[in-house]
Amino acid sequence: MVDVWIAFITGLTAGGLSCMAVQGGLLASSLANQLEQEMLSQPTKKQSRHPLAKTPTRHQLAQPILVFLLAKLVAYTLLGLLLGALGSTLTLTPMMRAVLQFGIGIFMIGNALRMFNVHPIFRYFSFEPPSFVTRYIRKSSKGKTSLGSPIFLGAMTVLIPCGIAQSMMAVALGSANPLAGAAIMFAFTLGASPVFFALSYSAARLGAVMEKYFMRLVALVLLVLGIFAIDTGLNLWGAPFSLTSTIQDWLDPPAVAAAPPTAAATTAFLPGPHLTSAQSISKLTLYAQNNGYSPRVLNAATGRAVKLEVITQNTRSCSVAFMIPELRLQKTLPTTGSVVIDIPAQPKGTVMRFSCSMGMYTGQIVFN
Amino acid sequence: MTKKKFSVPDMHCPACVMILEGLEDSLTGIQRVSASYHKQQMQVTYDETRLSEASIITAAEELGYTAIPTNS
Repeated sequence: MVDVWIAFITGLTAGGLSCMAVQGGLLASSLANQLEQEMLSQPTKKQSRHPLAKTPTRHQLAQPILVFLLAKLVAYTLLGLLLGALGSTLTLTPMMRAVLQFGIGIFMIGNALRMFNVHPIFRYFSFEPPSFVTRYIRKSSKGKTSLGSPIFLGAMTVLIPCGIAQSMMAVALGSANPLAGAAIMFAFTLGASPVFFALSYSAARLGAVMEKYFMRLVALVLLVLGIFAIDTGLNLWGAPFSLTSTIQDWLDPPAVAAAPPTAAATTAFLPGPHLTSAQSISKLTLYAQNNGYSPRVLNAATGRAVKLEVITQNTRSCSVAFMIPELRLQKTLPTTGSVVIDIPAQPKGTVMRFSCSMGMYTGQIVFN
Repeated sequence: MTKKKFSVPDMHCPACVMILEGLEDSLTGIQRVSASYHKQQMQVTYDETRLSEASIITAAEELGYTAIPTNS
């Protein structure tokens, strides 16, 4: 249920913009087809640059966009169902997710640079449907039902999910349950729909000049999201440097990092780690909260195995999806409760990074 | 049948491909239009006895595109 809400909120906030940028071309094709057909049937007094620039009526625009979005919603829900079913047989490791995030990031940045018209090479980041598909769509849109093309193209968006949709697909996969997977993708797509609708509706009605500025804005957002995706990949990889952790360090300086691993030093940071060192095992406590992990830096003694207790209390953010890339460990924490993780003894100077499965919240255990 | 390539430098999205390929339906004498957003060009196969290069350029212009014939 938590995942479903997260998916909805993610869709509502970032998903709409991101998906619009990636899938906007398909929607534009859909609209262009429909409008072209309708416009060409009317006598045109002067030439225009693009069918979308002909300032279509509200109804002409709203209907194909809505049909497009409905088809997209159905397609993604079915995809979620499949991913959930697949998830029971396949689990993405943090490394696989990191690689996926790098790919997503490169794809998004490439598309942003394409939209900025930096170099012709970046055009290859844009999905160009094969000619038999475009031909089929054109022929089908000439038939009795002019809604055939937005339905088809809406459904086809599953082939070009945006970065955020792909993250949600990973969550659906991780749910390992067909119904949960379907619910997650339904919620995400539904959440993204209002933004998607508003953006495409206004973009088409604003005309070609405004569209240029609008696309630049989308490109800028896409560029930021692309950098964020690569940064997420770095966190999932357990890389020593990432933008997120640097920003988190800057906002909330980890004073504990330099402190010696004494009981006095560690208990001073409540909620924080309690080094209740037994003879051969140290115990550390970490709080997984809605806004991240606390403390973000834990000190552990070297040469001893560590029992890391991760405590949650009404935690509903992605910090419940806890992972330590170096140990290839991935645990879903309960909303309220605690999970104990065994960490083998580490040599002096080891910095073991942990993060949530989306790489948003990070922290580290320093063995000194 | 004649095959001719045109450079179309003002294609700005994959949707333009579909719009240009729509010339197949609107121009008599055209057998096939293959456009590519990636390459910013289109290849037109047409019957020279029924259609001229100039009318293809004009039709593309009416859709909002500049079609420049290329030698290759």
